Amino acid sequence: MTDLPTPIVSIEAVTKTFGATVALKDVDFQCFPGEVHAILGENGAGKSTLMKTISGVIRPTSGVLRAGGTPVTFKGPGDALRAGFVCMYQELSLVPDLSVQENLLLGAPGSRLGRLDRSPLATARDLLDRIDGQDIRLGAKVSDLTLAECQQVEIVKALIRKPKLLILDEATSALNASVVEKVFDLIRAQRDEGVAVLFISHRFHEIEALADRISVFRNGQRVETFPNGAHDYAAIIDMMVGQRIDELFPAKRSLPQDAKTVLDVADFAWQPEVKPTSFTVKAGQIVGLGGLDGQGQSRLLQGLFGLLRGTEGTLRINGAPIPTTGPKAAKQANIGLAYIPEDRKADGLIQDQSIMENLDLAAMGRADLAAGDVALYAGSLDRLELKHGGLDLPVSSLSGGNQQKVVLAKWLALAPKVLLLADPTRGIDVKTKTQIYTLLRELADAGTAILLLSTDYEELIHLCDETHIFYDGAVTRSLSGDDLSAQNIIAASLNIPSDGGVAHA
Amino acid sequence: MMTLTRPLPSWINLEALLPYIGTLLLILGASTAFPQVLSLDYLTQQLQIAAFLGVLATGATIVILLGHIDLSVPWTLNGAAIVATAMAGSGNAALIALAIPAAILFGAAVGAVNGLGVTILRIPSMVWTLAINSILLGLAVLNTGGFNPRGESSALMSWLATGSIAGLPVSFLFWMAVSLALALVMTRSGFGRYLRSIGYNEKAVYLSGVSTRSVVVGAFVIAGVCSALGGVLLAGYANQAYQSMGDPFLLPTIAAVVIGGTSILGGCGGLFGTIGGVLFITILNSVLSVAQISDAWRSIIFGAIILAMLLFQTLRRGGRT
Repeated sequence: MTDLPTPIVSIEAVTKTFGATVALKDVDFQCFPGEVHAILGENGAGKSTLMKTISGVIRPTSGVLRAGGTPVTFKGPGDALRAGFVCMYQELSLVPDLSVQENLLLGAPGSRLGRLDRSPLATARDLLDRIDGQDIRLGAKVSDLTLAECQQVEIVKALIRKPKLLILDEATSALNASVVEKVFDLIRAQRDEGVAVLFISHRFHEIEALADRISVFRNGQRVETFPNGAHDYAAIIDMMVGQRIDELFPAKRSLPQDAKTVLDVADFAWQPEVKPTSFTVKAGQIVGLGGLDGQGQSRLLQGLFGLLRGTEGTLRINGAPIPTTGPKAAKQANIGLAYIPEDRKADGLIQDQSIMENLDLAAMGRADLAAGDVALYAGSLDRLELKHGGLDLPVSSLSGGNQQKVVLAKWLALAPKVLLLADPTRGIDVKTKTQIYTLLRELADAGTAILLLSTDYEELIHLCDETHIFYDGAVTRSLSGDDLSAQNIIAASLNIPSDGGVAHA
Repeated sequence: MMTLTRPLPSWINLEALLPYIGTLLLILGASTAFPQVLSLDYLTQQLQIAAFLGVLATGATIVILLGHIDLSVPWTLNGAAIVATAMAGSGNAALIALAIPAAILFGAAVGAVNGLGVTILRIPSMVWTLAINSILLGLAVLNTGGFNPRGESSALMSWLATGSIAGLPVSFLFWMAVSLALALVMTRSGFGRYLRSIGYNEKAVYLSGVSTRSVVVGAFVIAGVCSALGGVLLAGYANQAYQSMGDPFLLPTIAAVVIGGTSILGGCGGLFGTIGGVLFITILNSVLSVAQISDAWRSIIFGAIILAMLLFQTLRRGGRT
């Protein structure tokens, strides 16, 4: 970047409107070979529109797109691919019913009609191994893979196309810290070979670790572009939201001595994925569940909500034993469990129905609640500042962050005693995250027991009072107070002694 | 695309109105060549005939809204007709009075078996209900020895199928009553809300603490009862039950539901559109036979027009999302 080579991609005065909405407004932007360029912004800031413009999914209303200096008009993603622009989308683009290798070869260069060229498969195997994907068989069906494994395959699929420009849109959102680090090594290697990388993530520490330059977007405009390290977190957040957010996380409170135990889990197990596990959540406490993906922590949450058959052990709420017979029993007032599923788009909401129809779905089965009354949800919606154009609109018209607010409001209407959350802030913008953090803390203060599964260790450190780290189906370490640090979490996740330090690749 | 000053209820939309428009166009178009289609006699007769398909399609709509399908309609209908005519033809007053309730019970039982197979054994409804249809066929043949079943329809059955009140066929009024009752269930009860929601996303509904199994079983029971009622009407109309009397109804039933704007994938659609779809198919069938076209061409034209309607519905849906 010393004497400014030709940018791989540049856009000049690009504006994109959807009806009355201006998604991008007169944006200039350049990305050079051999740099990792991070794009930051709240949901709706224009990041996705920018990526879609560059990858040929949408065409700008006005302005010029240049590939390697020449003005181009992409008629579709295929044109962008031929120009060497490979995008890994936030919404996974794998075909669930095909095998990993069939997915990898889909649309790979040289695969037109007739025989597929299998030579990329060896590269793919090697790449998968390098990002902890040894267990992913190329013959495995994609629908049998976990979300994290799908993302690993997506990354490899993008890389074997030998991109000149690699666009990663929340590419690592479901991956845990140690895999992310290996993915980053791969990306750095690509960069060193002259590939330009556009990187969208909501995890600040990832951007800090990977980016060379950072561009901040707000309301469809580029606010500023600066080298990584030029500004601290607080200053960057200010740029993103246009106002000061003093603290991302609400302050923790010290727990009163006599705080009563709300949730008591004793020897709870679902063999072989969850080994006998015991812990408690007291009133006012937010307890975190961490660890690498698929170590039993998400199964534990599902088991507590009664989604798994054949669980063992006992579960008590306020001292009374609770059956785990399924969600219908779990949501009744005498039990008072609520579960926010990991995949809010597919499992938490019915995208084709209205916001209101989604809000009242959980409360409808409770005889003691008037599910049709908006007042039941208004409190939570106000606290979360849900932006919507009317509760009759389809929930799919909302952004991801706002959709998660609907899921939360739907369950909070039941006034649960115990709130089980599976990675509720994944892929959500910073402002919504802080709103959710504040809400969770307020709920805890009001006596709700909160069990939070998270793949973002900043949440486990700064939001949770205590965090249990899972490895191979069991809690390897429970961290609280000063022990609750990134180093300890990573060490426990890998099941290595914390004093041994974390090996950096 | 519609500019209306006062808001319409949500169940009136272009998808649901389309078959009504198609029906009107069919009648008007046919009347230029065959003026008799505009006569009151002809039209009331169509309403009477439409009711048989209509009652079947009402039940099918419920199951299709759920994202499932019931292919056991023909032999559920046939079985119910055999049960009803056998009892009505027994000469015993008590059995005659119980003919219709017994047929309904039969339909409900088949529906329950369908629902349990789909929910507990988790076998796709397309396969399960097809197998049940085949088993029912076999049972009917075993029961009758392969001959047409003996028996006759009761007076009540004949009146339901062929009677009239104030110039309107009783069968039509019966169909409307069934539709209205189910429409109320669909719009006013939690069951109806859950049913639609399951059609869109069963997992999300289950995770919201809803017993999705009982909703699915309930829907199949309703469909089974509707098939049985269709059998009662047809047996009343023919004054007997006969082998394979339900077979010509399977495809038109599903076509009527989908032409009425209900998505074959579940979720959106409703009974109002289905009524239009039934009228369209009935009139189309009748106009083609009035026109005295050869059977071969009638089948081809019938199939082509149904495909065109389905294509139109699919394209509209595709263009919107």
